[in-house]
Amino acid sequence: MESRKGDQREGMERPPMNVGGDADERVIRTILDAFPTSVKDFQKVRAGVLRARIDRRDLFRACKMLRDQLGFEHISMISAVEYADRFELVYHVSCYGSCMLLELITTTPRDDPSVDSVSSVWGGANWQEREAYDLMGIKFNNHPKLERILLPKDFMYHPLRKEYKEGP
Amino acid sequence: MAEMWINMGPQHPMTHGLWNLRIKVDGETITDAEPEVGYLHRGIEKICENRTYTQILPIADRLCYGASLSWNHLYCRTVEDLMGVEVPERAQYMRVVALEMQRIASHQMWLAAYAVDLGLMTGFIYAMRDREIFIDLLQSLTGSRLTYNFCRIGGVAHDLPPDFERDSLRACDYTEKKIDEYYDLFEGSKVFMMRNVGVGKLSKEDAMNLGVTGPPLRASGVKYDLRKDMSYEAYPEIDFQPITHPDGDCYARYRVRMEEMLESCKIIRQALQKMPKGKWRVVAPRNAPVGTGLGRVEDPRGEGMMYVVGDGTDRPYRLKIRSPIFVTVSAAKRMLVGYKVADVVAIMGGLDMCIGETDR
Repeated sequence: MESRKGDQREGMERPPMNVGGDADERVIRTILDAFPTSVKDFQKVRAGVLRARIDRRDLFRACKMLRDQLGFEHISMISAVEYADRFELVYHVSCYGSCMLLELITTTPRDDPSVDSVSSVWGGANWQEREAYDLMGIKFNNHPKLERILLPKDFMYHPLRKEYKEGP
Repeated sequence: MAEMWINMGPQHPMTHGLWNLRIKVDGETITDAEPEVGYLHRGIEKICENRTYTQILPIADRLCYGASLSWNHLYCRTVEDLMGVEVPERAQYMRVVALEMQRIASHQMWLAAYAVDLGLMTGFIYAMRDREIFIDLLQSLTGSRLTYNFCRIGGVAHDLPPDFERDSLRACDYTEKKIDEYYDLFEGSKVFMMRNVGVGKLSKEDAMNLGVTGPPLRASGVKYDLRKDMSYEAYPEIDFQPITHPDGDCYARYRVRMEEMLESCKIIRQALQKMPKGKWRVVAPRNAPVGTGLGRVEDPRGEGMMYVVGDGTDRPYRLKIRSPIFVTVSAAKRMLVGYKVADVVAIMGGLDMCIGETDR
């Protein structure tokens, strides 16, 4: 594990465009070794893009591992999607060195839409989590300041939920 | 001395749109800062859930008034990924040409606004004048000046107009000459240099961790440009270099954008030269399959991203938009703390705020 970490640090300085199958395999293997039961459906979407589902209880530890051991230093986007029976949170995490993009999907039940905040792992997640809370009503545990960001503080709804209808 | 909070905005000459920057000052030194956004929230993500895929095209334009083609293109890419549509090669090159023209126009507008922020009225007039050339070219290509609505799902709206290639090459020659002139104008100004060099430093580690993308990230010394690193359209065929600068201050951000304009001229020339003949549009299906699509492009302001969930109908089930400035401005505190109130204008101006996409 230590030698892999060393590789990744050097990888930061490498020229881009080296999305190899090799790096993909290493990410898949490392994550599946660490979370054998909670990570499911690992797949390669196309070159350099991976997708996995993870249990929400292991999300924070997995994100910490992604940043510290696999070099995923950039959180691109956090999207909240509502389905009839669940909420899905999609984390797009990317790596500056190998230019890989990982799509990490976690699910929360409708009656308890909450996950652990990853804003202490990636500072860029802070406002994106506030946005997901504001528009979709997902609670992020241990978030430093979970307040509305785009809508006024006294707004009463989470407008991206399907039960909220626009117009008269 | 007692500390106090000051509101800079929502109505303030610095803000270029409606947003508010709250800063906490101790004397003249900033000790804390908190941007407030949301004044222009139009609920575009919600609107899109009730429109067909084609109806969203002009809405995607309205995300950013400075670089609308880039957002229009990003939306098309995302839906093409969802529907599995292959874009013809000619359309890919045409998109590259239009996108780079948009990038130059956007950077010129930033330069104009930045110059007037820092008291260089001449710079404002010059940059606005030279931006007009690319606006005119885009108008001849697309038919409108600011919200182009040019890309279509499966290609672009129409072919190049007559003499477009000749005019574009002339515009590139002209811009390259003018940028040398700008260097004299801006860097010859002692006031401009004093307000830029060493102001608003953002370290490489902070920039990476806080999700800063685009020119501010490259100005902090990270060589990361999605046109190279997760290449799309015809960019892999084109020879260009991402611009970086090691310093991470306002001057570095200015310098990165200036050199990017020169690089864009290079890209336009190559793309026009390599552009093949053929079709520029294929017919896309009306309904999207069940599944997800992802688009990720290098917007003039940073990493633009869209995530669409299709449910088999002609309307998206969910469309999530990632705005680069929304994330970049959340890093404002790290850039502002420790500097003086007078530096706020230079630091925030150097980020190239666009409220349309920040608030969506």
